[in-house]
Amino acid sequence: MAPEALLSHLHRADGSATYTHNGYCIIGAVNGPIEVQRRDELPEEATVEVNVRPAAGVGSPKERHLETLLHNTLRSIILTRVIPRTLVQITLQVRSLPDEEGAAGVHPSLLLLPHLLHTSLLALLSASIPLSTTLTSVLIAIPSSPTSKSGAPLVSPTATDLLRAKPIRSVHVFAFSGDNRLLLNESDGVFSFDVWDEACETAEEACCREEGGVGLVGEGMEVDGKESANLEEWLRVVVRRKVEHEQRWKVAT
Amino acid sequence: MPREAEISVNERAFIQQALQEQIRLDGRAFDAFRPLELTFGDEYGVADVQLGKTRVIARISVDVTTPLPERKFDGVFQIITEFSPMASPAFEVGRPTDAEVILSRILEKAIRRSNALDTESLCIIAGLKCFALRADVHIIDHDGGLIDASCIAVMAALQHFRRPDVLVEGEKATVLSVREREPIPLSILHQPLCVTFSYFEEVDIFLVDANFAEEQVRQGEVIVTMNRHGEVCQVAKYGGATVNPLALLNCTNIALQKVKEMSKFIQMKLDEDAKRRNVGGLLAELSAENDR
Amino acid sequence: MAASAIVVLPGDKIPQDALPKPMNKKKALTLGPGLRHIPPTTIATTIAGALVTDNKKNAAWIEFNSGRYLPTAGDLVIATINTSTGENFNCFLTPNTPAATLPHLAFEGATRKTRPQLVPNSLVYARIASAGKDSSPELTCVDPSTGKSEGLGPLKGGMVFKISLGMARRLLAGSKGGVTILEALGEKVGFEITVGRNGMLHVDGGNVKTTLAVGRAVQEVDEQALGAKGQKKLAERVLKSL
Repeated sequence: MAPEALLSHLHRADGSATYTHNGYCIIGAVNGPIEVQRRDELPEEATVEVNVRPAAGVGSPKERHLETLLHNTLRSIILTRVIPRTLVQITLQVRSLPDEEGAAGVHPSLLLLPHLLHTSLLALLSASIPLSTTLTSVLIAIPSSPTSKSGAPLVSPTATDLLRAKPIRSVHVFAFSGDNRLLLNESDGVFSFDVWDEACETAEEACCREEGGVGLVGEGMEVDGKESANLEEWLRVVVRRKVEHEQRWKVAT
Repeated sequence: MPREAEISVNERAFIQQALQEQIRLDGRAFDAFRPLELTFGDEYGVADVQLGKTRVIARISVDVTTPLPERKFDGVFQIITEFSPMASPAFEVGRPTDAEVILSRILEKAIRRSNALDTESLCIIAGLKCFALRADVHIIDHDGGLIDASCIAVMAALQHFRRPDVLVEGEKATVLSVREREPIPLSILHQPLCVTFSYFEEVDIFLVDANFAEEQVRQGEVIVTMNRHGEVCQVAKYGGATVNPLALLNCTNIALQKVKEMSKFIQMKLDEDAKRRNVGGLLAELSAENDR
Repeated sequence: MAASAIVVLPGDKIPQDALPKPMNKKKALTLGPGLRHIPPTTIATTIAGALVTDNKKNAAWIEFNSGRYLPTAGDLVIATINTSTGENFNCFLTPNTPAATLPHLAFEGATRKTRPQLVPNSLVYARIASAGKDSSPELTCVDPSTGKSEGLGPLKGGMVFKISLGMARRLLAGSKGGVTILEALGEKVGFEITVGRNGMLHVDGGNVKTTLAVGRAVQEVDEQALGAKGQKKLAERVLKSL
């Protein structure tokens, strides 16, 4: 199942996106470049501020931790030097989580992380903040199965998938840039380097492995319905829809 | 400190001039709400309210705690409103603006103090265990009318919410999960709703459901909270303008009519949602039987 | 302009054959919004949108219609006065952005003795004299070569309507922008409009009804992306209501 995305639907924020995937629904908004407070001003770069707001309750250390991870990852793709002494403010509101989230016995913030990354990227695209590249992210879960082959990795599993595959030995979140560089790697659980390596390979495949060098996507791309599409192709479809929406006046009668 | 941009003098003058000619910017009547939209999610207790361009999401969650020592027989109920920069860059995290303080005070008075929720029903074992209910109000998009929209969202979410059932055996209480027993709705005593009137002194006009631009131009606001039986829960007035007491009476009359309409609308949406759920519920139960 | 635009994502490298083919070989390639040059020869995108090229000007840029207005020298904007200091007015182009400066003397006929008096939150139609990432934008209300205002200056009366940045560009682009509603309305009613690239439209129709009708009609064309036929229908409807 490809994630669903809705872009630029909020009126006050400069850019916004609602992202729905596997029972997670996150609303993201970006304001920027706006005036930065004196104490946060950087002379040669933009300040990036990330706010993660949980569905229920106020932010806790868990959200602060996610904010740090997001901040560092997003900073590396935002061209902060193009807009110095300004603020790019990213707010992510978790709207809903799958019911079974807590039951799978997996670190919940890792489950949330890829979705938060995608939401913030979409909101940044919607706000037209200058970026050096895009990013795609995926969660890989390695179930422990001592009997058979060491558990086939699950690629962005749903909460029910995780529940069924219980116990999970380790989970890994990877994020890749548009040019296939590893941007973020967070793991939890017990695993060997070989397992990590395999997980990383699988993740890369799901995110951005190209079949035969697609540089600029031409006209003949038909990935809307195809299952095999990787996340980067999904991103292109989302952007294509955004551009079509913006330029529909050209074809309107 | 970021501040909300002020409306330009041209816009201010124009809005006032238009009101003098009995025209609102969006062509609405003075006592008309913007189109109201209410949706529920897959989870219980999440209400998504759209009032024109304003959008508010309320979410109810529940926890088990010890009751407050001075209120042994009552559960805990909190309403939390925290603005985020999502609705406006002028909202800063951790530094409440006046609007935010007013919103949380009004919701407190309108819903909590008016005993809309029967907190005694949240008690599990007197003095030992009770449910702690919290309503989180998330402002997603801000185009005025936050108080009215938030109140609708919280009330709709409360009516939509189902809390887990508990099994009490002497001193021991077990919270039963959704799988074990069908969760039960909250006991709601009445449904207060807010109607905000924006007052314009020069033209002596009250506007219902002002949008953001109108809110910036108004000289005063009167917030009337009442339920559909016409019981006034609270009246608050902010802003410097003096308001004629007789006009207040007129406001309550309009408010009653609006509250009745909105209550009916919420009930209709709740019924629709219940119908949608019931189909799934029956099917789910049947399939569980078949599996065994 | 190509009909089926090339959709680009940030970080995409523009291949050589997608770049404009200059008619005049000597003209240097101009990169517009959304493109950056990574030495030696790579041209990469920074925002998501459609790639547009112009062979005559040997220019390429990314067309997009979302996000906040970024000040660019030469743009016409509607600025809101915030404060007045000794020499300058501090103005906002969009809310919550660093203030732009507008010198007191940058008005037609202004001298040290006759400075314009503008209260906070008044509107000014101005041209961006300079803007860069390292300095706050500077505005002017006179043409430096002639000393005349050329239509710039304080905006009195009327009402401001928010429009998308793309709509503002279309309105300023003339017939290429495909906005016909104004001419259609102008045949029957008189009004004056001012378009700011920062997504603001100032309309003065002399009375409340006309002003509102014109402003809302433009907003509707913007939001619903009406084509020529749709705009004609809308114009008829609006004129009937007046």
